Order: sequence, then structure tokens, then C-alpha cells
Amino acid sequence: MIETQTYTINIGPQHPSTHGGLHVEAIMDGEVVKDAIVHVGYVHRSVEKIAESRTYAQFVPYASRLDYLASHLPTLGYVQAVEKLAGITVPERAEYIRIILAELSRIASHMIFVGSLAIDLGATTGLVYCFRDRERIMDMFEMSSGQRLIASYMRIGGVAADLPEEFYPAVESFLNDLPGMIAEYHGLLSGNEILQQRCKGVGILPAEDSVAYGVTGPNLRASGVDYDLRRDEPYGIYSRFDFKVPVGQNGDSWDRFMVRIEEMEQSGRIIKQALKDMPSGEILAKVPRILKPAKGREVYHRIESAKGELGFHLVSDGSDRPYRLHIRAPSFINLMVLPLICKGGTLQDVITNIATLDPVLGESDR
Amino acid sequence: MEHLFTDTAYMLTSWMVGLGIKPVWADLILLVVQWAIIIAIVTVNVIILIWLERKVSGFIQERLGPNRLGPFGAFQTIADAMKLLTKEDIIPSRADRWIFMSAPLLFIVVAVMLYAVLPLGKDMAVVDLNVGLFYFISLGSLSTICLLMAGWGSNNKWSLLGAMRSVAQMISYEIPLAFSLLGVVMIAGSLNLGEIVNAQNRYWFILLQPVAFLVYFIAATAELNRGPFDMPEAEQELTAGVYTEYTGMRWALFFLAEYTNLVAVSALAATLFFGGGQGHWLPSWIWIIIKTYLIMLVFMWMKWTFPRIRMDHLMAFSWKVLIPVSLANILVTGLGIEFFRGMGW
Amino acid sequence: MKMFGKGLLKGLGITLKHGVEKPRTIQYPEQRPFLHQRFRGCLEFDYRNCIVCGMCIKACPNRVLSFETAPIEGSKKKRLLSYTIDLQYCLFCNLCVEACPTHTLFFVHNFELSTDRREQIKRVYTPPAGVQVPVAAAGAELIPPEALEPEVDAAAEAKRRKQIEAIKTALSKGGQKVLAKYVDTEEDAAILAELLQADEKKRDKVAALIVDDKEKARKAAQALVAKEKSRPAGGETQ
Repeated sequence: MIETQTYTINIGPQHPSTHGGLHVEAIMDGEVVKDAIVHVGYVHRSVEKIAESRTYAQFVPYASRLDYLASHLPTLGYVQAVEKLAGITVPERAEYIRIILAELSRIASHMIFVGSLAIDLGATTGLVYCFRDRERIMDMFEMSSGQRLIASYMRIGGVAADLPEEFYPAVESFLNDLPGMIAEYHGLLSGNEILQQRCKGVGILPAEDSVAYGVTGPNLRASGVDYDLRRDEPYGIYSRFDFKVPVGQNGDSWDRFMVRIEEMEQSGRIIKQALKDMPSGEILAKVPRILKPAKGREVYHRIESAKGELGFHLVSDGSDRPYRLHIRAPSFINLMVLPLICKGGTLQDVITNIATLDPVLGESDR
Repeated sequence: MEHLFTDTAYMLTSWMVGLGIKPVWADLILLVVQWAIIIAIVTVNVIILIWLERKVSGFIQERLGPNRLGPFGAFQTIADAMKLLTKEDIIPSRADRWIFMSAPLLFIVVAVMLYAVLPLGKDMAVVDLNVGLFYFISLGSLSTICLLMAGWGSNNKWSLLGAMRSVAQMISYEIPLAFSLLGVVMIAGSLNLGEIVNAQNRYWFILLQPVAFLVYFIAATAELNRGPFDMPEAEQELTAGVYTEYTGMRWALFFLAEYTNLVAVSALAATLFFGGGQGHWLPSWIWIIIKTYLIMLVFMWMKWTFPRIRMDHLMAFSWKVLIPVSLANILVTGLGIEFFRGMGW
Repeated sequence: MKMFGKGLLKGLGITLKHGVEKPRTIQYPEQRPFLHQRFRGCLEFDYRNCIVCGMCIKACPNRVLSFETAPIEGSKKKRLLSYTIDLQYCLFCNLCVEACPTHTLFFVHNFELSTDRREQIKRVYTPPAGVQVPVAAAGAELIPPEALEPEVDAAAEAKRRKQIEAIKTALSKGGQKVLAKYVDTEEDAAILAELLQADEKKRDKVAALIVDDKEKARKAAQALVAKEKSRPAGGETQ
């Protein structure tokens, strides 16, 4: 009887396809993965502790550095949590601007997902095309907030500035071109038989397991669980929009890919509706310069970020700084299923699975 | 023009004989000269090819590619080669020194040896071997050993994985590669590459053997370790596969050998399926350069479009699709030959 | 078996289409990127508007900004001595710019912030000596920049003072040679020198004029000499 020996191979923290400082310790038998251990924390910046020494308003730029691929979403979650804590009502127009930018961020994040999946599977050109299209969103962020990647644009009580004139034609032409871009991704990537073979049936995450692990976001919906906070627990003004929640069936990498592509289309629909209904008026509520929420107040606010359920738990002690801020980072919790879905697959499937779980290490490690 | 090189070679030989050198020695000296020319062609070709690959990838990705150094960035590769030459040569302390050091050398030697039988024009093969095609295929499989040596000698898990993959892949793809060429050999009735070219006087074999060409093309991509079959390197999975531990010029030698192989395989495709140096107006050696470059452009185009195939699918594809298809092709070819012979052609 | 079918060819078609398209990249150092109006490049400070309220420092999340002040005598207000932007810690969040009541802080479009050494990232702004920086309480009206005094070069001012001092010393010790340029005859120069040696006030005035405006100095000198000459010579002795 011939016995084979297992060996350990360290994927990361310095590896081309780990999306930052992720370290996966894979226990291998030949090319087959027997077990995988996820090590996170290489990008730890103690963001939660920083929050305790910053005023409520000062934390906004740090929040946008959580999920740097969709920087409007974590800031949106944070400012809404503070507004809930202090009981601030946001002007209508600001709400609409927030939705438009948040959904644009979601599209940008999913474009990165498609591109990084492509390059992780070896199709370098797919990445370049996705970044080319995302560039237009970054351009719009630059118009509105002055920054491209980590735009600290949301403010407690509204947004920092009104949208400039040139923003509207830009977003409209982008929305018109969006179906063409998605068609191109389908043509180059999802229509490609090699990519289909590498994704279909790879890294299957059953619905029960995904619920048990607390997986959220597109990864959960790909497993067939129809759950989207934008629809099921609408925050902001999401209840006013008509959109579909795409749901997968098998929970494999292919479904995770397809769900995100469909979400891009749905986000486009939401932006269109928001642009149509947007009223004019104030963009920033009257917020005291030094915000001091009542002592002992505690709030948990969660939003549907591009990666999943992003929650902010804020505790006030009556001072101008939060007593405690806890961030429920979806990337961190989603990453924890990696050993489960990698077992039995090959080394190449690990790469596919990391790519389709779409973690952002800045958010996961906080 | 057509006989530029052959005439020069003839003049050189007769001049040496005129000097009183025995014809045997004159032939030997000529052989050395021919080899020197081959090596020069290989190096220059690789420099052009790397530049071309970067340009092609740039254009496909809506970029410009290298454009700073020289006209259209043409000197970029030379600058890169200089950089690699001056880099520190690192040999891992736990590596198997001799195997580690000799692997890139062997790889490049094998790659250059392929050129011995390639007719780079009419009557322009260095060695006019009567089993040229056989020689080509058997030498091609030698490169597997070099990659295995590199992977084993590096004493690195990534390298070893890459090496194991390359062995599995190359051995599996040798078979359809050889089978696909059998059809051509059957029609031409010879293993001599010059005669195969001559047999394509009426029709190019791409018309008679389209399936064989397709199988050859796919199997050759796998043999070359090029995308979408770049398993041994597999940058996104194995960091750099067998090349992980190689630095500086040793690494560059692998690169050189890969592109040398690319030229050889493309030139063979041009010889076997596109009539070699046949064509109007231009001399035969220009025709073969044009055809080879066009085939290489297709290789590059494919690499920059497709994602990498998974290892088990790759193996399955070879054993379950390519080999049966190539066997069927041989059968159909044989039947066709018998049929046409029966018809009295 | 569907593999290696339509999808692959379609992908090849897409890459071919883009392969013959024009590149979308710009050649950066030669071609400058188009920057939108709100683009935040480098943080800059304009001392002429600063009212030393410290709102920016309170707003900054990362302690990028700091200043040194000195109290103004007889007033609660403060005077700015220097203002420091430690740009390496800047988050470019715009909070300081929003907090500033007088548009003293602003972002410019310059995004090429790389420096050779760490110390060069720090920017220290010092208002030049002798310039009256507007000092007002927080919330005061913004003084438009054009209404402010023109910027005076501190170094030039110091040089002028030095020259005046030098001429004054020369004049107090005689200085006929200096004055000869400004009067017509040697005799006149001697008269003027004697006069200026006696009178300190006149000496200062002439020295300042010599440095600032040579033409005016000549006229003043001649007037002084004429005045001295017209006085009756024996008047004193009588």
C-alpha cells in the first residue's frame, strides 16, 4: 500500500491572488486541498479603537477606509448609525444623493470583483476592462467629493456638498453604457467555457451552512437565501425604489459571480429611479458642531454593503466621542467559510473561492 | 534573393575547398557557422517577440505597451535584458545546486536544438534529417525533464507543484501532438520536413488536415506552457511555479527558452500546415518568417484573452477529447488515402 | 461537448475589437490628467486670511495641523507665528477646509506630493515679520486678499535699514565725499557736511532719502545748502 504524505503550503500573506494580506494555510495532498486555515489580521489598523479617540464627525474618513473598494457604503452605514444615535433627520435631497453614490459604489465594487476574479483565473485582460469601466465611476466620485477611491463625502446629517452640474450627464451616460459593459463581461468572461468550468460546481456553499456561519450579502444570496437588507429592513429611503434581489441556486462560485453581475444591473435601476425622483433643497441638516448624544444611548445600525451586512454598534457615554464602536465586518465573517468550501477541491479552486467570496482585507482586519 | 543563403553557403564551402581544406572539414566549419547564425536568430527573435508580446497585450488591453525606450519602445527588451544580467544570482541554500543550476542551461540547449531540422526556407535546414519530424517531437519532450529538474532542484513547494504539473501536462499533450502530425506524415509519405513542404505544392495541408491542425495547435499551446495552459508558471496560483526561486539571468534563460520554443513550434506549424516557404513574389525564407509570426500572433492573442484552465480539466481534455479526435483523424486520413488511391489519383 | 466553442471565439472577437481601438491611457508626465474642480490634491494655507481660531486643528482627525501663536498685548486676540501642515498624516478628508470660517485652508490640484526626504513633507508657513496679519475674533468678516497689504520682502527691508545706518555713521563723521554727488561744488559739500554733523534730525532724513530716492536727496541737499548760504555770514558773530 502506497501512502502519500500531506504537506502544508502557505498561500499568502504575500501572494498574487490573496487580495491583500490574507494568509491561507492549505494542507494539501498533491493538488487536493485537505484542509485550509484562514489567518487574518495582517492589515489590522485598530479602527475600532481609533473611533474611541475621535469625535463622531472625525471618524468619517476612517470609515471610508474600511471597504476601500466601495468607500461610500461604510461611511453611509456609519453616519446613519450616528444619526440614529443622535436623532438627526436627514434632508430629502441628501438621502437621494447618498443612495446614488452608495449604489455607484456597489457597482464599482462588483466591477472589481469581476476583474479580480478574471485575473485570479488567469485572464488578465478582463481585469483591465473592468478597471477601465470602473474608472468612470471613480471620475464621478472625483466630481462630487474631490476624491476618487476613499471619498469621505457623507457627513453626519447629510453630505458634504451638493452634486456638481457635470455629475448628472456623466452618471446618465454611464447608466446608458452599463448594459454594454455587462454584455462585454459576459462575452469575455462568463461566456467563456474555460471560466465556466473553473467556476461551476466549485466551492459549493449550502444554504444551511451559509446561514449557520453568518454569511451575508451576495455570497448568501448565491446560496439561495433570499435576504437583502435593502428590501427586508430598508434603511434610508430604500423602501421607495423598485428593484429585484437576484438569488442563486447552487451556492457555487458561478452563482456568486452571476449574482453580482445581476446586482450591478439592479443597482443601475435604483440609480435611475433616484435620479428621476430627486428633489431640490438642503443637503445638510443642522447638526451641532460638537455632537454629544445622550449618555447611555446605544444603537446598532446595519446596511447592505457590497460585501454583505455591514453593522455599526455605537455606544455613547454623553461625550463628543463614542464610548465604543464595534464594526460587524461582512468580509471577515464571509472569509470564515473558506475552509468549508475549499475542502476537497484543488489548489486552483482555493484561488477561485477566495476571489468569489470577494473579501476586502481592510474591512475584515479593521 | 531566393537563393541568397544557400548560394552564400555554397560559395563559402567552395572557397574553403579552394584554400586546400578537405571537404569534410569545410562542411564541419560550415555547420558551426550555421549554428552561430541560428543562435543569433534565436536571440534577436526573442528580443523582438518579447517586445511584440508586450505590444500585443497592450493593444488588447487598450494601452500602448512599452513606448519610452527607442522608437515604439523597441529597446525596452534590451534594457530589461541588461537589468537581468546585472542582477544578483541567488541560489537558495537548501537547493540541489547542480540540478538547480543546470536546468535553465539544458532548457535553452534543447530549445535551440529544435532548429536543427527546421527548413527556414527552401533547402535551408541546418541538418536535412530524413526523420526530421520525429527528431523534433522527441526533442520537444526533453524540455519536460528540464522543468522537472528546475522544480525539484529549487526545493520549494510552489516550484515542485509547478514541475509536477508540467510533467503531467506535457506527457499528456505529447500524445495528441504526435498523433495529429501522423495524418500529415501519412499524406506526405515522409518524415523529412523538406519533403513535407514539397508535398504541399498543390494544397496546403491545413485544407486537407484541418482537424489535425486544430489538435496540433491546442497541444502545442500546452507544450509551450502558454496561456491558457500555463500550468507550470501559473502566476496567480503558484506565484511563479517552477521559476519561483530563479533570479536574474537564470530566470531570463527560461524566458529565452520559452520564446525560442514558441518560434520553433510556430515555424513547424507553418512548415507542416501552411506550405512552409511556399508563396509567390517573395523569397521562401521571408515567407516562412511571415507565416511564423502570424501564427505566433494568434498564440499571443489567445494568451491575453483566455483564463487558465484547471489542471484536472486539462488532463481530461487531453485524454478524453484530443487523443480520440486525433486517432479518428488518423483513421479518416487513412481511409481517405485508400479511397483516393482506389479512385486512381 | 460544448467546450471550446462559441464562447471562446466570442472572447477572441472582443479582445480583437479592443486591440484595434485607440488606447485609453494617457501618457502621464507629458499629458496631464483632467482634474475636476473639487479634486483634492495638496493642502495649502494662506496666512493672510487666518484669524487664529483653531477650528481646523479641532476638526482634524489625525493631528495633521498645528500652529504657534503669540498673545497680542492689551487684547484677548492672538497673533500667528507659524502654521504647520504635516501632510504625511493627512487623510485628505476635507474636514478642516469645511471647518475653516475664512477659507484660509484649501486644497489645490497639485497631486505630485512625493519628496526625497520625510522632513520635506512637512509644510511650515510663517507670516513675514513686519506684516500686519489681520487679527480678528472668530466669525469676523473675511478680508478679501486684494485689500491686504502687498507682501513685503523681509530680507529687502533689512538690507535697506543696514544701508541707512551705514550712511548715517558716515555723515556723522563728516562724509563730504558722499555728499559731493548731491551738490554742485566741493565747497557746498563741505557746508552741508558741517550742517548735517550738527543736526541729527536732518542727518537721518537725508540718509533715508539717499537710500530710497537719489533724485529727491539731491533736491533736498541743494535746498539745504542754499538756505545755509542765504543766511548772513556775519550774523552769528554780530
